[in-house]
Formats: sequence, structure tokens, C-alpha cells
Amino acid sequence: MLEKLETMRQEAENDLQSITDLQTLQKVKHDWLSKAGKVTELLKAIPTLEPEQRRPFGIGANEIKTMLTERLNALEEQLLDSAGSDLKLDLTIPGFDFTRGGLHPTRQMRDDLNQAFLSLGFEIYNGAQITTEQSAFDNLNFKPDHPARETMDTYWIAGTEQKSAKERYCLRPHLTGASVDYLKEHGAPARFVYPGMVYRNESTDPGHERAFYQYEALIVEKDFSFASGRLLIDTILERVFGKPIETRMRAGFFPFVEPGFEIDMRCQVCGGKGCGVCKYVGWIEIMPGGVPHPNVLLAAGLDPMEWSGFYINIGLDRLVMMRYGIDDVRLFHSADLRFLEQFK
Amino acid sequence: MKISLNWIKEFVDLPADLSITQLASDLTMRTVEVEGYEDLGASLDNIVVARVEVIQPHPQADRLRVAKVDCGEAELSQVVCGGSNLYEGQLVVLAKPGSFVKWHGEGEPVEIKASKLRGVDSAGMICASAEIGMEELFPAKEEAEIVDLQGYDAYPGQPISALLGRNDIIIEVDNKSITNRPDLWGQYGIARELAAIYDLPLKPLPVFQEILPSGINVEIENADRCARYAALSIEGIQNEQSPVWMRERLASLDVRPVNLMVDITNYVMLCVGEPTHAFDATHVDGGIVVRQAKQGEKLTLLNDEVLELRESDLLIADKTKALALAGVMGGKLDSVLDDTRDVILEVANFDAIGTRRTATHFGLRTESSSRFEKALDTQRVDQALGLTVALLKELMPEARLTGFTDLVLKPTAAGSVEVEKQYLEKRLGTELKVEEVKALLGRLGFDVTYKEGVFSCLVPSWRATGDVSLPADILEEIARIRGYESFAFTPPVVALGKALNQPQIQMTQHIAQLLSQRLGMQEVFTYPWVEERYLEAAGIEKESLLKLATPPSPEQAHLRPSLVPGLIEAVQLNQHHFESFKIFEQGVVFFDLHNQAQHLAFALAGEDAEKLLFEAKGALQAIPRLAMSEAFDFVQEEAPSWAEHGLWLNVKNKQGVFGGLGVLSSKAKRAAGIKRLAVVMAEINLDALHALPSRDNAFKSLPVYPLVAKDLSVILEDKVSWAQVEKLVGPMVRDIAYITEFRGGQVPEGKRSLSFRVWLGSDAGTMTAVEIDKRMVAITRRLEKELGGVVPTTK
Repeated sequence: MLEKLETMRQEAENDLQSITDLQTLQKVKHDWLSKAGKVTELLKAIPTLEPEQRRPFGIGANEIKTMLTERLNALEEQLLDSAGSDLKLDLTIPGFDFTRGGLHPTRQMRDDLNQAFLSLGFEIYNGAQITTEQSAFDNLNFKPDHPARETMDTYWIAGTEQKSAKERYCLRPHLTGASVDYLKEHGAPARFVYPGMVYRNESTDPGHERAFYQYEALIVEKDFSFASGRLLIDTILERVFGKPIETRMRAGFFPFVEPGFEIDMRCQVCGGKGCGVCKYVGWIEIMPGGVPHPNVLLAAGLDPMEWSGFYINIGLDRLVMMRYGIDDVRLFHSADLRFLEQFK
Repeated sequence: MKISLNWIKEFVDLPADLSITQLASDLTMRTVEVEGYEDLGASLDNIVVARVEVIQPHPQADRLRVAKVDCGEAELSQVVCGGSNLYEGQLVVLAKPGSFVKWHGEGEPVEIKASKLRGVDSAGMICASAEIGMEELFPAKEEAEIVDLQGYDAYPGQPISALLGRNDIIIEVDNKSITNRPDLWGQYGIARELAAIYDLPLKPLPVFQEILPSGINVEIENADRCARYAALSIEGIQNEQSPVWMRERLASLDVRPVNLMVDITNYVMLCVGEPTHAFDATHVDGGIVVRQAKQGEKLTLLNDEVLELRESDLLIADKTKALALAGVMGGKLDSVLDDTRDVILEVANFDAIGTRRTATHFGLRTESSSRFEKALDTQRVDQALGLTVALLKELMPEARLTGFTDLVLKPTAAGSVEVEKQYLEKRLGTELKVEEVKALLGRLGFDVTYKEGVFSCLVPSWRATGDVSLPADILEEIARIRGYESFAFTPPVVALGKALNQPQIQMTQHIAQLLSQRLGMQEVFTYPWVEERYLEAAGIEKESLLKLATPPSPEQAHLRPSLVPGLIEAVQLNQHHFESFKIFEQGVVFFDLHNQAQHLAFALAGEDAEKLLFEAKGALQAIPRLAMSEAFDFVQEEAPSWAEHGLWLNVKNKQGVFGGLGVLSSKAKRAAGIKRLAVVMAEINLDALHALPSRDNAFKSLPVYPLVAKDLSVILEDKVSWAQVEKLVGPMVRDIAYITEFRGGQVPEGKRSLSFRVWLGSDAGTMTAVEIDKRMVAITRRLEKELGGVVPTTK
């Protein structure tokens, strides 16, 4: 009978060798290991044997069973692994588009700057967009009939344009007026930013808009040194350009600051050697700034001998144009999705 | 404003090694931005005097001629010329090959090369005045006219720069940054500033010290408008052409030379910044009266324009008639012509505001008015007188000074500012030496004394008309002359206060992120002024809206009370490029002068209005949870003016309705020109939606035993709403969710089948099939009884 065992072992080996796919595997499995399978038959035969043969035969039959089970399991794993999926795909087809929708590039810039200033403990303030001559000019030390008023051609509200001071209303031509309102409300010390849209009655071209986004920051502290104002400048430029930017402060005149500055940054195109972008001076005028004029602090109810500080004001549109190389400022208000969708 | 470096050098000996680049940089850093500079001599390289020897016709072109010219070389040169006034023997300006000229007087200079013109060799170009930037010096009567050097002491081959003394460097500075500095509106003022920057002596101007009999009678009616009026009588002038050097200098600063007397007044103005005016004495009747105009009084100007004056306009008149608009422009009658022999020279001080108002009203912004409107000091009259007399003596030796009248009603007082040393040091962030402060300010003309910690600064008259009056002004003078870059950055020290919490601003930001990042909407900006067409499309009444006095265009006068019209326009524009899109805007809208609000609006454009409507509703529903706002309800109370009948909803909180959503009506779409797209819009007032100071939702324990989900369909009358079903079934189950609705097929007309899912559960144990069936039967019964529903028997 033990010869039969050897024959069966050989047969099992042959069957295992014949397996080429899952189907033949299943057949072999069924032939040998099912209830009516050959292994069962062998085991069923044990009681019919001579007593001394039963034990070796049983061990041999179980060996065959174990061998078959292990080999079949291993083969099945192997065949399953190699089979993979039936799916045949063009994997160069793009993935699902999750990028629809986005924020306006100017707002993204504003948010970047807000984040930087929030980390310095600055508050965010929204002033009114309709304001008065008093708030936009008188409070800011723009003297009546002074030519400086002309630098900001203002949209006056119909019906009030012939009046004056607090009865003459306009779309705000700049943000600075809001600073006095804030200081009146909150007092000093103060540090806040107040970004927003401002409006000027100008003719438009690729470099000029009637509605543009400005970002202004003001810090008011006791005996603040003007040189400390660099903090505001550096915060902005480092955030925009992602690295420290060399700047210089030079004489500039704006009625609401004293001293007033024009702030230039190193030309990032030529690194300061001089090129067409910086008109061969190595510097690009980037923002005005300065110490709040005593008359402005007075208008805000603060004692100018006690309080000082620093303003900066930067045009976000121009920064965004620099960031992406945009050549026409009018696109910002175009609501043209072909333009806006580029700025995810 | 333009500055002549040669002129500056007459007043201050600049260091020999100072480059123009350095000077421009120093002036920019400390005083006024230099916009550019031009080396006039260099621009005339290879441009020389030539004499026309022979003229021959051009074989190919009627308008051109071929000239043989002597330009100081061994052989004659051949040049093709289109000049209309070319003649043999003429002294002309020849641009030789290698020179640069402005082609037809426009654009950037281009290089001249030897070439063939219509087949004839031409070794250069005979220039018109515009081609070499000399329109002022050689005004051309017609385009093709070339410069004729007749009357000049010129010889062939002489460089034009040498002939004209044109070796100057002209610096242009930004006018805007010196509107507060009346002292800088003249060459002498700039020289003074440079002397201060480089700590060099400034040479004095000639002093007026004539002893003259009293001259013409002068009356000033309003001292506030005219603080000083000096009248110098000059007789027997020979009013010829000015010498070349003066014409050249005026021209290089963009002032057209006229005749000697007029040129002197302009020269004086450019130098000291004080406008003066010469009247032909024969037209002045009985004396000068400085008075306000009578309402409607007429004045004919030099350029023949007739002005109708107002009482607020200041006039220079004589006993019988108006002569000139004070400080702005002379009249036709009094003008000084080439044959004028006797003049009255006005050197006066007019007030800034009045001059500016008059000039602005009549649109006459002249060199004169633009200087007076900066507020000049009365002492400058003396400077102008001194320089004028010196020039008269040099250039018009025949002229006799016969009388002088000088009314000084309100001399500019030297201002005085006291400033504490400690104040300066704290705000400059550095210690200061008393002597250093005195020296720095002294260079600018301040007279400074120091006593017990306080500097007393006497402000020079030329800075005392409003420019310097406060301690902060003194601080600025010290800092800028010492150099802003010399003050080291010190990090500001601030006290740490309460942490910021600005929930409303955060909420607005969260909403923008929700709509853009999660819901796929693109943010847009539109203008606050809206075109009438889109206001009308949105059904918004125009009458009560705010308007701009001078709008960008007549159709864009109204300020938006809603973001919807702007978004309708945006949809209209984008429909040509996209089949479907979603846009939103957060912006300010205007109700009246004192009421504005921050709004949010969005527009979804695509194919299926129903789908878009529920997408819009879902977007609004997401706000409370995802943007941390208070909760709100959807109601139907106030139909938006732009919404299709019945297809709209409002959002409402405790304060009331604060916005809505709906399908854009077909009427609105027609009016706006939106063709095929379905559009759903929503708008809410963000100021009325309150942000939560923190999260307000609470945790719910997870079920101890698993919940069982069961789907149910019920056929209901169309008028029965999902809200009714939810309200009825909700309390009977752990949770309930809408799945879909269905009409047609087996469902009778006027009814629909609503499908929804409920979750059942028990705290006592896992529910058995019997318990579940029992609960479902209870739900079915209630739907039948309360809402008239029919639940089809399942399988």
C-alpha cells in the first residue's frame, strides 16, 4: 500500500506542475482536497489497512495533504498577484480637476500681507469707502486749495460736489483718512493695517486704473523713531518677494507725513546694476511712507509731542503685476475668467 | 522742473570730482527726485555749422535738392536736403554721419549714416530745429523749414555746441515732490539746497540799491491778496533780440525767447522763482491799481482770449481799465513788443490761494501762477529787483531807471520754532551734538540758538510761508540734510496686549475660502459704479441711488446698491468663453451717504437651473458651519428684483431678511444680453450675518448599538413639501436624509414620489427585524394619515 502512496505523491506532484492559471488550480484543489477528493479517499482507506500499516500510511497521506495545501496556497497567491486587474487604462489622462475656483490675485496678495502683519500684532481695519473732504483731505493736512490736492483727482458724489469739508462727499481717493477715524475710535498706542479699494478720477491705460487696491499700515507709539519704520517696509517686501529686499528711504513730500519718504527697493531685475526696468538707477520706487504729521495726530485727538509713529502705503495692484508679470492693470477689474483662473 | 547745471555753478562751486550721477543721487535722497538729466553738449556731437555752396535739383525727386556744403573740411560734402528755405550761401546746421538727431522731431534720437537718398549719395542731414531739439531757439514757420544761422557769428565746421555755448547738463526734477517747497522753484533755490547738502558757500545775488525818485502811483485794495507791490519805471529801452547765451539758456529750460525785456523777466523768474511782469508804460493810465475785478468785467489776454471775470479774481488795472490778471497772465493791451520804449516793471507778491483759484477757474496754469500758488515770501521781490537791474545794466545800457515805488503791506515774517533737544534725539533714535544741529540748520539758512535743552530756530523767509513751522519740520530738515541713511534701524519695542480677535473679519475670509476652495467659485472684482443697463436688468430703481458728479462715463454714474448688476455683467462677458462657470464677489455697496455695507454675491451659470439653484442653496447652507457664522433660515418673504417668479428664497436671521437666492429671471437675462446660459444668483449682506466668537456645535455620543438605515418612498400631492415630511418623520427616527424625487411613470399626475432614508436605533440593544418593521409601519401610517401619502408596498 505504501507504493500506492508514492504513486499518489507523484501524481499530486504532476498535477501541481500542470497548474497554469487559477482555473486549473481550482480543479487540482477540487480533485485532491474536496470532500470527494483523492486525499480524502486515501484517508478513508486507512481503517481498511493492516494495523501496522495504518500509522505510516496515515503520516504519508497527511504529508501529501499538507504539501498540497501549502503548495496550492502559495501558487494561488502567486497567480493572484500576477493576474492583477482586468482594467486597461490610459494613465496619461489627467486626474480629476480639483482646482476650479480661486481667489482674486490681489486678494491673495492682501491675505499674504495680512498674515504677516497679524503675526506682528496688527489689527485689520475696514474704513468706509464713502468719505468726506474733511476726512480725506482736511484731517490729513491737505490745506484747502493746495496743489497737493490735485494729485488725487477725486470722485465727488453728485449733489455734494459744490459743498465743502464734512458736507462734501466722495469715494475715498486713498486709505489714509481711515487712519484718523481708527485712532479717534481706539486711541493710541495703535498698530493696524487697513487694506482696500480706492478710487481716482483718471483716464485709464495699461498702467492706470480708476479703482485700485491699496494696503496701508500704521503704527503709533510714544517717541517712535522714523528709522524703526523700516520694520513695516521690510515686513511687506519680504513677504512679497520671499527674501529680504534692500531698500532706501529718501526725501518725499506727502502732506500727511513729516518727515515723508519715498521708499525705493533694489531693482530685482538687474540687482542694482541698472537696467531698463529701473531706468538705469538700480532702484525702483515702491511705496511712500513717513511719520504721521503733527496735524494728523491732532485731528485724531492725539498729542503730537507725545505720540509718533510710521505709515506705509503700498499699491497692491502693482505688486501683483510684478509678482506675475501682468502688463495691464485694467485686467484686475475685468472679471474675465480667462485672466483670473490663472492665479490659483 | 528743469535745472541748468551751468547756472547752478554760477552760485556754488561744486566739487570738481562730483559726478552728475552722484549729484542726481544726492539731490534725490535729500531733497527732490531727479527724474533724469541730459548732456546737451553730447547730444550735439558731430553736428556742425555748414555753408551751402551749390544747390542742384535732385534727379529723382521734386521736393529734394542736392546741396554741396562746406563743413570746414578740405572737400565739399554732398547732402540731399528737403528744406523749403534752402539757399546758396546759407549757414545751416549739418548733422554729420555718426551724429544723433530726432527723426522728424519725434521719438528717441537715431544715428545719422552716410547713405543714398533716392539714388543720390548724402553725407549727413541738414537739420530742422525740431530734429536737434531747438524749437524754442529757432521756431520753424513750417515743417520743412531748416535752421538758418543768418546773423550768427558762425563759421563752417564750427561745432553747434560751441556756437551756442551749449555745454550744459539739464537736470529734470519731479514737480510733485516740491509743491511744498516754494524756495525750490528757481535755480537759485536749488543752488542753495546743493550748497547745504555739500556744505559749500552760496554766492549772493546782486542787491538792489538804486536810489530813485518815487515812481508811478500804486494802490493795493486788498493786502491779503497782494502783500507787496514794487513798480520800477524803465525808459528808453532798445528792445532787441537777446544775446545768444540768454536765448540758449531760456530755451534749454523750455522757455521761448521773445525779446530782451520779456526774456529778462523770464530769466529772473527762472533764477529766483519770482514771476515779474513788464507793462508797456504808454498803455498805463495814471498809475497801477491792484484790485478785485467787478463781476462780469472783461479782460482780453495776450493770446486774444477774452475772460469774463468774477469778483474773486484779482486784477492789475490802471485808473480806467483792467490790464492783467494778477499773478497769472498779462493782458493784450499792456504787452511789451519789440518797439516798446518805456516799461513799468512789476515785481509783486500775490497770495497763493487766490492766484490758484483764478488760474484753475480759467484753465490758465502759467509759469507765473504755478509759482505764486506755492506761497512766495515778500523778500523774494528784493532778489528779483536786484537781478533785474543787474541784467538791465549789462544788456540794456541805454535804459534809464526813472522811478521806483514799493508798497510792502504784509512782509513775510521770519517764523520761529522752538524744539527740545530731547524730542529730536528720541525721534531720531540717536544722540545729537548742539553744534552739529546748529551747523546743519545753518547751512539751510536757519539761525539757531541753544539754551537749556531747547533749540530756537529762526526760519528763513523763503521757508516761512507754511513749509517750516513745527518741531517735526525742524526734525525733518536735520534728518534729511544729515542723510536719512545715517540713522540706524532700531527694532521698535511694543507692549504685548490682548490677543486680537476679529471674528467678523475672519468669517468674511472663511466664506471666501469656502466658496473658492471648496465650492469651486472664482472671485472677481467689479467696479462700484455700474452701467445703467445692468442696473435695469437687475430691476433696481435708479432714482434713489448715489451718483458720481463726474463719472467715468455718463452711463456709469450710479454707485451700486447691490453686487448683482456687476455680476450680471460679468456673466454676460464670460458667456462667450465658457459653457459653465461660478463666480463670486465680496465688496462694498452703497445705500446713501452714510450707509454702506459689505456684501457677498455669487452667480452660477450653466445648463440646468434647478441643479444650480440647489447648488446655490447648498453653498449658503454651508456658511454657518464652515465659516463660523450664526445659523439662519430659508424663507420666502421678499422676492429679489432679479429673480424668476417663485424660484427664489430669502435668508433670514433674528434681525430679519438679509439676502436671497434665486434663478435669474428671463427678463433680466434678455435685458443683459445673456443668451443661452441658465443663471442662479445669490446675495447676502455680510454685515448682517453675525460671526460666532467661537464654535457653537456640541459633540454627540456615538450610538452604542448599530443604527439601521431604511429607504422609503412615498407618493404625495405636489403641494406637500419635503420640509413637511422631514418635520413629521424626523422626531420618529435617529436621523433622516432626502434622497430624490420622481414624477411621471407610475406616479399619478399632480403627485410626486419622494424618497428618503431614515436611521433607526435603540439604546437598549440591536433592533430586531420585528422592531424595525413595526417602526417603519408607524412611519408609513403617519405619512398616510397626516400628509395623505401613499407608500407603495415593497417587494
